[in-house]
Formats: sequence, C-alpha cells, structure tokens
Amino acid sequence: MGFAQEESLVYDLRLSSVGPGRVSGTDVFHNPAGLDLAMKLHYLRMIYFFDSDVAQSLSIMHIKERMFPWFNHYFITCGRFRRSETGRPFIKCNDCGARFIEAKYDKTLDEWLEMKDWGSYKLLASQQVIGPELFFSPPILLQVTHFRCGGISLGLSWAHILGDPFAASEFINNWGRCMNYLDLTKPINIPRPIPRPTGTGPQMDPVCAKPVDPVGDHWIPPNNCKMVTFSFQVTGSQMNYLQAQIWGPSADQTPPFESLCAVIWHCVAQVRPGFEPNTVTICKPDPSHGNDIIGNNQVISKVEAGSEFSMSDTNFRVLASMLAEQGIDERNLIEEAMEKDEGVADFYVYGANLTFVDLEETNVYELELKGKKPRFVYTTLQGVGDEGVVLVMPWPKGANKNGSDGKFVTMILPEDQIVKIKPELKINGLLLEGDF
Amino acid sequence: MPPMLPDFSNSVKLKYVKLGYQYLVNHIITLTLVPIMLGVSIEILRLGPQEILNLWNSLHFNLVQILCSAFLIIFVATVYFMSKPRTIYLVDYACFKPPVTCRVPFATFMEHSRLILKNNPKSVEFQMRILERSGLGEETCLPPAIHYIPPKPTMEAARGEAELVIFSAMDSLFKKTGLKPKDIDILIVNCSLFSPTPSLSAMVINKYKLRSNIKSFNLSGMGCSAGLISIDLARDLLQVHPNSNAVVVSTEIITPNYYQGNERAMLLPNCLFRMGGAAILLSNRRSERRRAKYRLVHVVRTHKGADDKAYRCVFEEEDKEGKVGISLSKDLMAIAGEALKSNITTMGPLVLPASEQLLFLLTLIGRKIFNPKWKPYIPDFKQAFEHFCIHAGGRAVIDELQKNLQLSTEHVEASRMTLHRFGNTSSSSLWYELNYIESKGRMKKGDRVWQIAFGSGFKCNSAVWKCNKTIKTPIDGPWADCIDRYPVHIPEIVKL
Repeated sequence: MGFAQEESLVYDLRLSSVGPGRVSGTDVFHNPAGLDLAMKLHYLRMIYFFDSDVAQSLSIMHIKERMFPWFNHYFITCGRFRRSETGRPFIKCNDCGARFIEAKYDKTLDEWLEMKDWGSYKLLASQQVIGPELFFSPPILLQVTHFRCGGISLGLSWAHILGDPFAASEFINNWGRCMNYLDLTKPINIPRPIPRPTGTGPQMDPVCAKPVDPVGDHWIPPNNCKMVTFSFQVTGSQMNYLQAQIWGPSADQTPPFESLCAVIWHCVAQVRPGFEPNTVTICKPDPSHGNDIIGNNQVISKVEAGSEFSMSDTNFRVLASMLAEQGIDERNLIEEAMEKDEGVADFYVYGANLTFVDLEETNVYELELKGKKPRFVYTTLQGVGDEGVVLVMPWPKGANKNGSDGKFVTMILPEDQIVKIKPELKINGLLLEGDF
Repeated sequence: MPPMLPDFSNSVKLKYVKLGYQYLVNHIITLTLVPIMLGVSIEILRLGPQEILNLWNSLHFNLVQILCSAFLIIFVATVYFMSKPRTIYLVDYACFKPPVTCRVPFATFMEHSRLILKNNPKSVEFQMRILERSGLGEETCLPPAIHYIPPKPTMEAARGEAELVIFSAMDSLFKKTGLKPKDIDILIVNCSLFSPTPSLSAMVINKYKLRSNIKSFNLSGMGCSAGLISIDLARDLLQVHPNSNAVVVSTEIITPNYYQGNERAMLLPNCLFRMGGAAILLSNRRSERRRAKYRLVHVVRTHKGADDKAYRCVFEEEDKEGKVGISLSKDLMAIAGEALKSNITTMGPLVLPASEQLLFLLTLIGRKIFNPKWKPYIPDFKQAFEHFCIHAGGRAVIDELQKNLQLSTEHVEASRMTLHRFGNTSSSSLWYELNYIESKGRMKKGDRVWQIAFGSGFKCNSAVWKCNKTIKTPIDGPWADCIDRYPVHIPEIVKL
C-alpha cells in the first residue's frame, strides 16, 4: 500500500471496513468455478470521477451507511479466502467486509484529468493484492478520494476471481441504486457449491491461459519486465476515419472494436521485431449470459494467425476479419485445465498472449448519483503478464454527434514497448498530437 | 439390611417432603389463623345475636374514652403512613439500539487486530482465542471511531459517541413515557471511563433544555455496577423530594478506552466491551402507580474494596509502553464469587421465604454447635425470584453465577443472549436483559426480578424489582427485530 514520492500528493489516508448489515450465517461457503480460479492472479481497478455538485451531498458517513444494504446483497464479496483440504481456494462468507479507504488529494479534479498521468491513477484505487495471508486479504477495496475543488473519485479494487468486468460494473451500478434508496434484485448471489468433476478425457492445453510456477498464497503473476499503462481517447470522427481507411465505402465493415484492435495489433507487431504476436486473446461479453450470477462469464477466445503468417505483410482488413470471425472460445478448455489439478494450479490469462478486452458494454456510465452521471470512468488491470493487454472502454455518451461513438483505449505493455508504440499509433491516426 | 430405595423414587419422595415443608413454613401464619377464626366464628354462632348485644352493652363506654381511642388510632396510623418509605416506581426505560453500520463481525475484529498489532502475532492469537470463547455474537457494535485502522479516539469522537448513545436512549424514553423535559427533577448519568468537562449530565441538560433547578449528578469511575448505584442514589433522593421524577442514564463510552498496546491482560476488555446505553424513568408520584412497569423493592450494595486483592483486580494503569488500559487480574472470578456471597448474605433475609431462612438458620446453628463438617446450605433463590438479570460481564461470570446460585438454563438465558447480541455493554447490560425477558412475554404482574451487577472496586450490587403489570408483547425495544431468532445455541468455541 505504500508508494514512492507520489504518496505526498494523496494524503490523510484512513482505513476502515464496511460489510453487510445482516449476518450471513455460520459456515456459508462460496466455491469459485474453474474459470474464476484461472483469473485469480488478475485484479480490476475502476475509478469513477464525480464533479463537486454531486459530491457535495455525499458525506463519508452517508456513503458508508448506504453500503451496508448493498453488501447485504453482495455478502459473498465480503468473505475471505480459505483453502480446502485439497488446496482448492474457496470463500468463507464471514462478513469480514470490504476495505474502505478515505483520502484527500491536493489538486482539483480538472487538474488531475488534464494531467493524463496514467501511471498515477494507481493512487486512486488500492493496489493491494490477495495474499500472502489469505485470511486477512479483502477481495474488494474501495477508495474515496476528495479533490480540492470538492470533486471526488471512487476507486474500486476488484479481485478478478470474483467476476468479470461486467460483474464489477454492475456491482458499482447497484451501489448507485442503493445510494438512491432503490431495491436490488440482480445478480442473484447464491453461494456456489463445489463444482462436480465433469470427467471428460484429457484435452488440449488452452492457449489463452498459461500456467505459472506455483505462487502459493500471494496471488500475483511474475513479471520479467516492468509493465506501464498508457491511455488515449479515440473520438467518433477518428473511428469513422479509421473504418473508412480500412474498409472504404464497403458495407461489410467489422465492428469498431475489431477494426481498432487490428490496427493496434499491427502497431504492437511493429515494436516487437522477431517476437511478433501471432496469437492473441479476445475477451468479450457473453451475449447469452444475462449477468444473473456473479462470476467470470466473459468469452475468452483465441485467434491464431499461424506460424507462417507475417504481421508486417498483412493488411488491416485481414486482421480485423480474423479477429471478428476466427475466434475460438476456449472457456471449456480453461475450465478443464483448472479442474484437472482440482483447482490448485496457478494460471494467468491477461498477458499470456496479447489480450484485447472489449469493455464497451460495461454500462459504467449508467451509474447515476443525484441524477448525474460520472464525469469519467477509468479502468485498468493489475497483474498483467508480459504480453500485454489492451482495454477498449466506452466514452461517455453525448460527447459525440454522429457516426460511431468514441472509445477510450488503455494499453498495458512493457515499458520499452510503450515508448516505441506511440509513434506507430500516431502514424495510423489513432493518436493525435496533443495526446502524449 | 433393607435394600436401598432406587434414586428416582428417593428424589421424588424428597421433593414432596420439601414442598410440604415449604408450604407449611411459608404459610404458618395463615395456617394458625384459620383454625382460630373458625373457632371464633363457631363460638359467635353458638352464642346467638341476643347474647352478643348483651355483651356489647356491658362494656360501658363513655365519650372521652371513645374519643381518646379514636385519636390514638388515627395518630398511630398517621405516624405509620408518614414513616413508610415512599414507593419508587420504574415507569419505563429505553435501551439504545446501535445502528447496523457500527456492526463488528468476528472476522472484521480479527482482521483489524492483525493489521493494528502487526508486530505482535502472539497478541493477535490471544485475542482470537478470547473471541472464540467469549459468547459474543456477530452483531455486536463498536463506535465509528474504533472502526478505523488504527482507531482514532479523539475527544470529539468520544463526545460524538456519547451524544449518539445518550440522546437516542433519551429520545426513546420521552417517546415511550410522554415525559416532558421540563418535568425532570433529578438527573443521574453514570459513565465510568469518559468524564469530560462539562459533565455528561450537563450535556443532557444542554440538549434538552432542562430546568435550572434540576438536581443533576454525574457518577464516573464506578465500573459496571454503577447502574445500580445510580438507581440507589435516585431512590434516596426520591425519599427526600416528594412528587418527583428522576431520570437515570447508564452507559459506557468505548471510544477513548480502546487499548492500543500489546499487553494481554489489557487486551481482554477490547474483545468484550461494546456500545450500549439505557435511560430509565423513576418516579415517586402516586399518579404513576397505574402505568409503572416495576416497583423497586430492595437495593443491596456490597463493597469489597477494603481487601487489597479485590481493590486491584480490575485496575486501570499504563503498560510498559505508556499506553493506558484496564488490567484484569487472574483472581477475578474468585473475588467475584466472594463478593456475591457477601451480597446474598445481606440479601437473603430480605427476600427469601421463611422456609429457606429457617433451613439456613438451622444448618448454620448445626454447623456451629454440632458438626462443622456439615455442608453449608445454599438457599434456593429460585423461590424468591422469577427472573434473574446477571450482568453480562463475560461468559465466565454468567457460568460462575449459574453454578453458585444453582440456576437453570432458562434463568440465565436473558444474560447469555444479551452477551451474544450486544456484548458487554457495562452498566446498561442489565436493562437489555430485562428487555429480553419482557420481549419474550415472560414478565407477569407480581413477578420478582433480581438484577446483579459486578464492578471494579470490587463491588457487587443487587436490585430487586416487582412487576407492577403484565407486559404484553410485542414491545418496542432493541430486541424488536431479532427476538424471534432467540434463544440461540452458543457453541463452546466458535470456529473463525
């Protein structure tokens, strides 16, 4: 929890806990499924920014007081991890609660947002991971930071084992409903029993999830290089221009996400000569799954370009079509691989290959406090493997007039690659002059 | 040798013998009066009305004699009624119900402990063991300042807690009784460990704009038995001031007293003490006779402070690092047992029925004169009281008293369940227990309640109340939303 020099800008930290108002009972256990366990080394960080006119009516006591009924619904997230006799992690729903951090920041909200110092966003959401003591590691941490102008930010630190980014954004949207004294119904939070083994024969190893050396009870993947975050906005008009460049007047365009990822894929390949990423992982929401039960439900598919494929020779159309059509859902394979070892093995997904995560449908701007939406929502990941991750977030609606909506792209790559990729992005029209 | 009677029939025979003996001794006056009355009536009937009139006329009364006799009777009656102590009624009382945001589940307590005492895993282990065996539940509450890691016990936070607890309880009391703030004649506030200037009683007077000629008292430092000391003080004041209302506020403010060091003997109170408070309305007005819930019968106070060991067994001091905490000695249970014996020796003759007192006297004489090896007779207090409220100081205290007084599980249920739901709320725990009994619908008119409290010093105080009217459920109070879940089974050791 301690940072270096930037610490002095975020000050007056006070830690406490908030939990469910109702007793969950004795010996209530929730068992994450194989897919959840495969994501346990990753952490989602989402930061919601609110202007001062909204924040004025939000005292800390009021926020905390409304969190208790919210956690009545999400009592599973208030538990702590244990290991069964076989070593499989599970959650004991003991009402321990989420960590609540209050902080102050010495600048105004406008100054912060203008800074575009993507690395310092980690000051607004706790970087604490699960472990080394499972008993005392909260899966959820919430940080409320007060800015000098009266604006606030709410930083959610969410252990990915609990659920995918859609579950996390729904979690926060439900908090909004609680603040407005509305009822919560979905998702249905019934603790899951131990999944029974499916007993199918040995399968291929998944490509999207790779095993790591045992990390024990400290759930963070090992990194060989320092990972750095960089974000930029892609406006609606930039998107239109991009689609036009790739597809021309053709009506067969791939959706904006695939086109965008195709360009970024190409750029990454340019900065990794000799180690071009021929295989990528795509994470998208599952259209058939209605966010009914908390868990990891997003589709994880691999797109393999084949070994004789040459990235620099390929045009964007091919890449975009591959991303749109040739993805193979590997969720079952990942589930099998985890269950083979009874859930004890340590895998990681984000950064096992270059990963593209489609978060356009996370509804983060649906949250409303006092009738106002958040000014900006920033999403990032912690615990990303060396191959890197690209997150595509929506841009607040109403900011554009015609054509496709803008996007907000966050890239987490090794430090040296981030420096080199910026010119590539500029060449391809994704990055404008003032953005870095 | 005749065969030994089997135990069962032996105990049944003994039971009937005991019942017969009790009935005989307790109703001896009735049993002797009835034959005498019968005899007199038969004699009168035998004499016939004419004979009675003749008897009457032969008595030769004159006016002076009649007047003197009449004055004598009136004089004696007046002296009797004037010197009788005023009846003290407990009109009603209200307990503070902590908000759910102050809830501290075991897991949260342990996690915070671990983060605060990160250099002392042994102390954390110790706290975990205490918590597992404490008899507390998952819904006990600590004040907001103590929820921080590390706790932030400022004076402002302590005042905030005091305001929250005391004002909530008082508002609730006003609502229940319809009492107007201007009608309070006597105000007594007891809070052992937080004593600011101006006092908490001044805080109450300021908030509710009480009268300027109010008689206010603030008792501090008197421990967990201060609640009954306040009741005793109120009783004495109400003897002197006719037609008055007295409000007693019993609470313990946790915020400034959370121990932040590592000494094990001092960490124990952190695990047990929780937020709570009660406000009680007492009155000596005859108009309250109808609606009052209880009548105060006896208050017995016993102080063992003359004994050095008893004086030091609950001691507030600084540890090696200069942090202040309350140290509990290992002889606490033994000293509590001694204090209880003292108290019931004084209490016994006041409340026990004649049968028990006679047995006790006979055994005492027997032990002194015939054979010192006779087992001392422990009077059966279950015959004197229907309900027991034992201060929920901790599981060990309740176990010890249950053993000493030979009480059944149901008798100590109120104490155990209060410890489970609210923790050790110090002087106000007796009122939560009383409220439990009422919420369960067990309080009937004429029932006698015995409240026992222990406190630093070492003191053992008792109060005896008699129920004035049957209390109908459901009642409004801290148990309203959870009484249906109780009683719960409290395991010996809770697995964390």
